[in-house]
Amino acid sequence: MATETAAEIQLVVFQLAGETYGVDINHVQEIIRMQSITQIPRTPVFIEGVINLRGRIIPVIDLHKRFNLPRAELTNNTRIMVVELGQVTVGMIVDSVSEVLRLPAASIEPPPPMISGIDVAYLKGVGKWNERLIILLDLDRVLRESEQRQLQQEIAAGVDLR
Amino acid sequence: MSELDMSQYLGIFLDEAGEQLQQLDEAIVKLEQTPDDLDLLNTIFRAAHTLKGSSASMGFNRLATLTHRMESVLDLLRQGKLAVSREIIDILLASLDKLRVLKDSIAAGNGDEGELGDIVARLEAVLAGEAGASPRDKVPGSETLTLDDIEQNVIRAAQVKGFQAYEIRVQLEEGCQMKAARAYLVFNNLKEAGEVIKSVPHTQDLEAEKFEDTFTLAFVSREDADTLANIVKSISEIKNVTVRPISLDEDRLVAAEVSALEQENGSLAARAKANSKASEQRITQTVRVDVQRLENLMNLVGELVIDRTRLAEVGNGLKARLGNEELLETLEEVSLHIGRITSDLQEEIMKARMFPIDQVFNRFPRMVRDLARKAGKEIDFIIEGRETELDRTVIEEIGDPLIHLLRNAIDHGIEAPEARLKAGKPRHGTVRLRAFHQENQIVITVEDDGAGMDPEKIKARAVAKGLISREAAARLGHREALDLIFLPGLSTSEKVTDVSGRGVGMDIVRNHIEKINGTIDIRTTPGKGTCFTIKLPLTLAINRSLLVQVGGRVYAFPLANVVEIIDITPADIQHVHRQQVVVVRGRVLPLIYLGQALGLARAMPAGENYAVVIVGLAEKQIGFIVDNLIGEQEIVIKSLGNFIGKIPGIAGATIMGDGSVALILDVRSLVDNLGVEASRELAS
Repeated sequence: MATETAAEIQLVVFQLAGETYGVDINHVQEIIRMQSITQIPRTPVFIEGVINLRGRIIPVIDLHKRFNLPRAELTNNTRIMVVELGQVTVGMIVDSVSEVLRLPAASIEPPPPMISGIDVAYLKGVGKWNERLIILLDLDRVLRESEQRQLQQEIAAGVDLR
Repeated sequence: MSELDMSQYLGIFLDEAGEQLQQLDEAIVKLEQTPDDLDLLNTIFRAAHTLKGSSASMGFNRLATLTHRMESVLDLLRQGKLAVSREIIDILLASLDKLRVLKDSIAAGNGDEGELGDIVARLEAVLAGEAGASPRDKVPGSETLTLDDIEQNVIRAAQVKGFQAYEIRVQLEEGCQMKAARAYLVFNNLKEAGEVIKSVPHTQDLEAEKFEDTFTLAFVSREDADTLANIVKSISEIKNVTVRPISLDEDRLVAAEVSALEQENGSLAARAKANSKASEQRITQTVRVDVQRLENLMNLVGELVIDRTRLAEVGNGLKARLGNEELLETLEEVSLHIGRITSDLQEEIMKARMFPIDQVFNRFPRMVRDLARKAGKEIDFIIEGRETELDRTVIEEIGDPLIHLLRNAIDHGIEAPEARLKAGKPRHGTVRLRAFHQENQIVITVEDDGAGMDPEKIKARAVAKGLISREAAARLGHREALDLIFLPGLSTSEKVTDVSGRGVGMDIVRNHIEKINGTIDIRTTPGKGTCFTIKLPLTLAINRSLLVQVGGRVYAFPLANVVEIIDITPADIQHVHRQQVVVVRGRVLPLIYLGQALGLARAMPAGENYAVVIVGLAEKQIGFIVDNLIGEQEIVIKSLGNFIGKIPGIAGATIMGDGSVALILDVRSLVDNLGVEASRELAS
């Protein structure tokens, strides 16, 4: 029994530009409806701004812009998925959140070289479930390294519209 | 003992050692002024003794060795075998400095390494030279009165009943024939007034005439010292009597007991004494709390404050919709009550974060003394309002600016003693440091009665250094000329000393103070003196702000930065070198649309009227055009977090009553970001 559960991972599955993605449920703090976001000047374009999550100020990023995916319309299904990784709590805008799945670790394969426009560097792998393909995001990479670097570069370059 | 345990103790040890060193520092500086204060000497001795003990038990032998030597010297002072002199104070202070170095070394993880240097030798020289030093009123044959635990308890018990303990030292005339009889008379007459607790030498020795001509008694009585002295003096062949109240080593009298003493004690003088003792020695119970915990509490309360506002809004909304329902009235009541409690809670937590400003002030007497000696000046340093409380965050920031100002006052402000006499002033200069509350602010003033500053000289200096043009200087008024000292690179002192006068300083002082949303002001009269007035917010966590709207979003200007608000029409806007400007009372101010300054908009929307928020920062003033003014509000400052990091122009965010997020503007970086053209405009 124990080995079976250990060999499983639990995923929160969401839709983004027509593809199905999953992230480890342990990193997902909560899922909230889209709400008014306060824009912050001089930040990279994918940072939508900040929201008030029960008194906490949480930054929100748009994964479409983050991965240069085609822009999606806001619908009734649009959600902000609040993920927590180390010291960082971030809301990610996704098209919809569909379900929570258990996936046998064995069914996860390394990501193919090119997949729907997202850089493989941000993927952990691809899982198959009932003939569906679920792309596993590497949150660590998405949230930490690259964004921090990009942020710093853009700020250093002095993003300025004036 | 495990390593973890040890490090835990080390933290406490270092904390306490730091406090003891600070206490010693203050007390020794004070001792120099009041060398006869035996209570003070006892305090010093105890602090040194405690430090010695804890160092030894932690295994820091150098620390223990040095404190032991200090303790020996202090003991001689205490016993009156050595007189307090400037040299001894110097050596004691130098020892403290060395102790600090050792303590820092321990804190850095290096143990108490490092050479003790000549300091031990100097202390030992004092110990050895004891004979040569002039002893304080040493009376042959007299012994200092030391009380054991039992005797102390007797005194404590008596004190509760309203008795006061005295040390009575009786000196018989030389050649007194019947010493034992005289001593007996003293005992007998005093018996009417109270009780003898102890006698040195012992009563048996007194009876056997085994004493020179002096004996000392511990005595409890309800009479005051003068009455007791008169009782003894009424006996013939008594040469001298001194009566002093005994203060027990650890005065554990709690307030209740003191008040019992007050009620029973008829003597007004004694009551006053008891009162002052109670305020001096009442030990407040404290708990050390992690600062982070207080910060968290503050944040939570901040959220409550926001919810309170929302609750009130919901209540109002329901009332508008449903009219006067009984349930709604209850809701309103509850919401009001929660509001009150939240306000109280907020205030209490604010207070918990407050420290008396003495935490900063307490190191200054030593500094002033050292600087004054080095500069060859004679200075009376007066501190007022030590107990004024302000937020921890503000305390951390205010130390450096004050050091700068005090240094300036000593180095540039106060003249040399001869110059002062020549100018018809007292030899001693006075530097006064004051702190007090005023409305929602803390005001700190640094005042000296020195030479003052001459605006004309400052102008000339600024022109000579190329900081402003001659024409610009000519146009400056008295106050504006004084403001020039805050320009980087200006120093008004003719000579550069190692204390101050390198032309760095006042600009840094101002920067520091502005960083914590404070302001600084100067008043000076040539020949009479200078006074700097610093005004600070009580806390940095809550800020009074001016809310404005730009591009549909709400932004908050810290009110401390806002100089004024004006209304202008497009016709008022002029252009200088393609920079929009507006003339306000003859002053040309650069003007920019806030949306542009934030990089959110390319152009200012056309309109009939513009609201302009004029902000002031040091020598700069700039007008920001906004779409709408919303009003003043108290806001809780929250950080944008690590993920977003530091954004130029934005100091943080706050949550409004309706739950939305508004950004707080960082006026300094906003202004800096606008580039040089703005500031150049003003300087020319």
